[in-house]
Amino acid sequence: MISRRDILRQTALGFGSIALTSLLEEQVLAEKPRELKNPHFVPRAKRVIFLFMKGGPSQVDTFEYKPQLQRDHGKELPFAKPKVTFAPTGNLLASPWRFTQHGQCGHYVSELFPQVAKHVDDICFLHGLHGTNPAHGAASLKLHTGADNFVRPSMGAWINYGLGTENANLPAFVTICPTLGHGGVNNWGGAFLPAKFAGTPISNASVPAKNARMHHITNPQWTLAEQRMQLDFLRQLNRDQIGSPVSSDLESRIHSFELAFRMQTSMPEIQEIGDESEATHKLYGLDNPVTEDFGRQCLLARRFCERGVRFVQVTHSDSKVQWDQHGNLRRGHAEKASEVDQPIAGLLEDLKTRGLLNDTLVVWSGEFGRTPTVQGSDNDGRDHNPWGFTMWMAGGGVKGGTRHGATDEYGFYAERGKVHIHDFHATLLYLLGIDHEKLTYRHGGRDFRLTDVFGNVVHDILS
Amino acid sequence: MICRLAIACLILLTSQPTLSGEGVTHWALRPVEKPPLPEVDNKAWIKNPVDLFVLARLEEADLEPSPPASTGDLQRRLFDDLIGLLPGPDDEFASPEITIHKLMATPQYGERWARHWLDVVRYADSNGLDENAAHANAWRYRDYVVQSFNSDKPYDQFLLEQIAGDLLPATDQAQTHTNLIATGFLALGPKVLAEPDKTKMEMDIIDEQIDTLGRALLGMTLGCARCHDHKFDPVPTDEYYALAGIFKSTRTMDSLETTARWHENSLSTPEEHKLKENHDQLLAAQQKVIAAFIEKANQQLLVEHKLKQLPPKPEEQYSKATREELARLQNTLERLQADAPVLPFAMGVTDGDATNLPVFLRGNHETPGALQQRRFPRALGTGQVDPIGDDVSGRLELAQWIASQDNPLTARVMVNRVWRWHFGRGLVATTDNFGKLGAKPTHPELLDWLAGWFVENGWSVKKLNRLILNSATYQMSSQASPEAIERDPNNQLFSRAPLRRIEAEPLRDALLQISNLLDLKMGGYVWTFPNFKLVFDHTSEDATTYASNRRSIYLPVIRNHVYSLFELFDFPDPSTVTGHRTSSTVAPQGLFLMNSPFVLRTTEALATRLLNEEPVDSGQRLTRLYALVYHRRPSAQESKNGITFVKQFAEMDNDRDSNKGPLASWQALCQVLISSNEFLYLR
Repeated sequence: MISRRDILRQTALGFGSIALTSLLEEQVLAEKPRELKNPHFVPRAKRVIFLFMKGGPSQVDTFEYKPQLQRDHGKELPFAKPKVTFAPTGNLLASPWRFTQHGQCGHYVSELFPQVAKHVDDICFLHGLHGTNPAHGAASLKLHTGADNFVRPSMGAWINYGLGTENANLPAFVTICPTLGHGGVNNWGGAFLPAKFAGTPISNASVPAKNARMHHITNPQWTLAEQRMQLDFLRQLNRDQIGSPVSSDLESRIHSFELAFRMQTSMPEIQEIGDESEATHKLYGLDNPVTEDFGRQCLLARRFCERGVRFVQVTHSDSKVQWDQHGNLRRGHAEKASEVDQPIAGLLEDLKTRGLLNDTLVVWSGEFGRTPTVQGSDNDGRDHNPWGFTMWMAGGGVKGGTRHGATDEYGFYAERGKVHIHDFHATLLYLLGIDHEKLTYRHGGRDFRLTDVFGNVVHDILS
Repeated sequence: MICRLAIACLILLTSQPTLSGEGVTHWALRPVEKPPLPEVDNKAWIKNPVDLFVLARLEEADLEPSPPASTGDLQRRLFDDLIGLLPGPDDEFASPEITIHKLMATPQYGERWARHWLDVVRYADSNGLDENAAHANAWRYRDYVVQSFNSDKPYDQFLLEQIAGDLLPATDQAQTHTNLIATGFLALGPKVLAEPDKTKMEMDIIDEQIDTLGRALLGMTLGCARCHDHKFDPVPTDEYYALAGIFKSTRTMDSLETTARWHENSLSTPEEHKLKENHDQLLAAQQKVIAAFIEKANQQLLVEHKLKQLPPKPEEQYSKATREELARLQNTLERLQADAPVLPFAMGVTDGDATNLPVFLRGNHETPGALQQRRFPRALGTGQVDPIGDDVSGRLELAQWIASQDNPLTARVMVNRVWRWHFGRGLVATTDNFGKLGAKPTHPELLDWLAGWFVENGWSVKKLNRLILNSATYQMSSQASPEAIERDPNNQLFSRAPLRRIEAEPLRDALLQISNLLDLKMGGYVWTFPNFKLVFDHTSEDATTYASNRRSIYLPVIRNHVYSLFELFDFPDPSTVTGHRTSSTVAPQGLFLMNSPFVLRTTEALATRLLNEEPVDSGQRLTRLYALVYHRRPSAQESKNGITFVKQFAEMDNDRDSNKGPLASWQALCQVLISSNEFLYLR
């Protein structure tokens, strides 16, 4: 039995604890949440920034150099294509971009990412990623939730559930300008986890980052002083109405208003970036209309992280075609890369300068990669490829300047050092100090996990 | 493709005892037998047999039931429970019986209770999952559910229609249509519409239907058996595929090609068909007239201007009269197009080719095993004797087997749902899981007695509502004695009424109601969006609006992006069966009540209503406000506090350039009142 004192203590502790009533209720229902009291392992990262490249950037045009593909351009793929594909493809298509070596590690990066290339010594490339579904929606849900045909909690929600927040005035899981297509809210939702663990969206992909706000965070009508007056009167009304003995539900309600009131200042304050130096603005590309939007998202991510937000997702998704070049690969990928290259490099640089990169894990990925085989009437496109693609990580606990795994000589199938989406999730949780097999939630009579019954931590990449 | 979750339940839970080895039938699968009524000491408290079961347990624990609720609290509770609205200032409360009777006779009853059912059947106006296509015809099913509750359709009939309405006899066309609409139950599930593996898509859709059917109607998770014999509930894999064969023999989809399209049943009459044909002819004729007119005008242009060929936009060079005549003709065409009769369709299923499915080993459709004759899981009911014929899907037989008084689960699951909707917690807390891993009933005898009573009383939901609402158990106060807090801390014994936050829809409807904005018009297509069109695509732009002042049940339910008010106040995920809504308390709810345009709009309307009504004295105005919001008179102290607040707020507001005078300060007070616990909670 939870005492009133416990309730007040927990409520005072943070944003998350406000949802206590649902926890109480779940105890009644024997659907017990098992919040992590202590980490299972020593955490190597405290927080995560996930840079999601919606649409599926091509690994063979960005970070995984395939000389054989360049040589065999126009030839037939010498082995079988998958039985089920999203759409038919033709023969091999060499990358139109030049790859050169960078950094101490000498990793090959294409000319699409000249700025990120400068940071390869901080990056660990995972070339053997593979998923299960070649369609955007299902692949995106798989990446974010580990499931593609059921509604399941997203990875940010699991992390929030496991670790909670470091800042009582902010949500633990924030997603900046997320896409509403292809799974939409479910990509940051909490599914059957209590409501407080779901991500807090800052607008969505249809809103330019500079106008993006948390829902209902400002009042068009009352000043803060007027609202203070309202809340004081509300508190008085509620106090008069609480009978004896005190109901925890009613107490929590009172606290939830106070937290809401504080958030009205703490959230917008993060988004007012006027106090950042001109150099910082430039570093993130805010001085350039091409990079301004994504740059602002990356800068916000850093500001959220600094203030204790646990999981920040930044989505690169515009109103056109994102990274999804079934045709017009040359123009499309060049355009997309130019929008994110400087901001991502700026983010890495900035985190490093501020000493945040040590315990912040930055993850870069699409929902899948693209086929080395050609598509489109002008031979300038590639199909979806969940069978082998590249994800990269930097910072918190991963070995920089390394690569893990590879696809075959053309870049079609993950061949060595294969990392399934479930393995990625297991590794992500491991880096945060969580054993993916132990972070469970009982729902409908079953103990659920982010990794279901799968997932192996990729120990080779740990620093 | 392996069903991973099923394996999850295998691996995680193998340590628990299985049903098959025990030789004892799980409680939920035993035939329902009405137990004898228990003896109690405090006979004076008893209003009906429900109370005997509850009191017997309380007396065992040496607890007294809470005293009766105040009439104000009880009236508010009954209004919320039965119609999801507030009592109006003039609604009198003669007795619980009269109020219950009156409320059940209003059409708003059906709207309130239909919404419960819509939670269970994962109703939504869009597909969700990967491709969020609009279910523009789902509303017909929603209206069907409202009508069914209002007419107190016997629950067994209600189920027959939803599982196999298309196969039931009908006396007239209206009934045929109703039956077809009812099968929307099977069609409304979320589907991976861009799944490239078509066999997988088909098996996933079938799995979703079986899973929903199992959890919604039988409280059983049948989906697990897709990959392995169910470890805890008695459904072996061969029986899963025997059941799946029934849905394989049912047409749910018209096309599996990306983006896949679900089947819809036509509801048009021959007259409507004829009308449509005639209209199409009119349209074609008008198009011909316009084409001829243009042809003639172009010829004229060539001749008059001595041109060799037509300019790119010839119509710009027509004479004024010609242009006007053309505009008139086109105008007529546009009007005809706008008036084109839309033939009605309803999401639903129909029988396909009768086939049996093989077992798919480990759930993988590429490794078929032995063929399974279509049949029902043996352990879940005794009803079926005759095998399903080779030429029928077996869906009608399945419906009859479920909607049978011999099925041990159907009545138990439903009476438990109804109990949950009245009390906030079921006698079995896991309303959708009566299996081994679900909760055990807190009052097993009461559950069985109610199940038996329900069937005896013609599966009438309204009678069941009335029985429960007229019990002393329901009419208790939510105040808990110190003994009750100690010995029944979670109210497992129902020693008091639960304290409950109002749900999302009653919250929204109440705000519209007190501000005089609520539109009580019933039913129909409220949301205008083309069928099958994606409600969200890569642009992430939200084309859905929630500006309507109609009751919440008529607002669109968009999977993957539920209306923010709903989402914040614990509206269930419309992709899954939900018999028990949770009730959270999170800061974003506070932000909503403080800052949302909806709350500001309705509280301004409420303040405007107050200021426009006679009389004009502040004290009387405050009394009126309390009557509207709390349905009671304010105390002298409350009255004084409220008036002081308005005064002080006005003083502060006066310092601003944009002050709105008394409207602002009264609105500020209205907002505080509707944010208070007294408004948000049922006692």
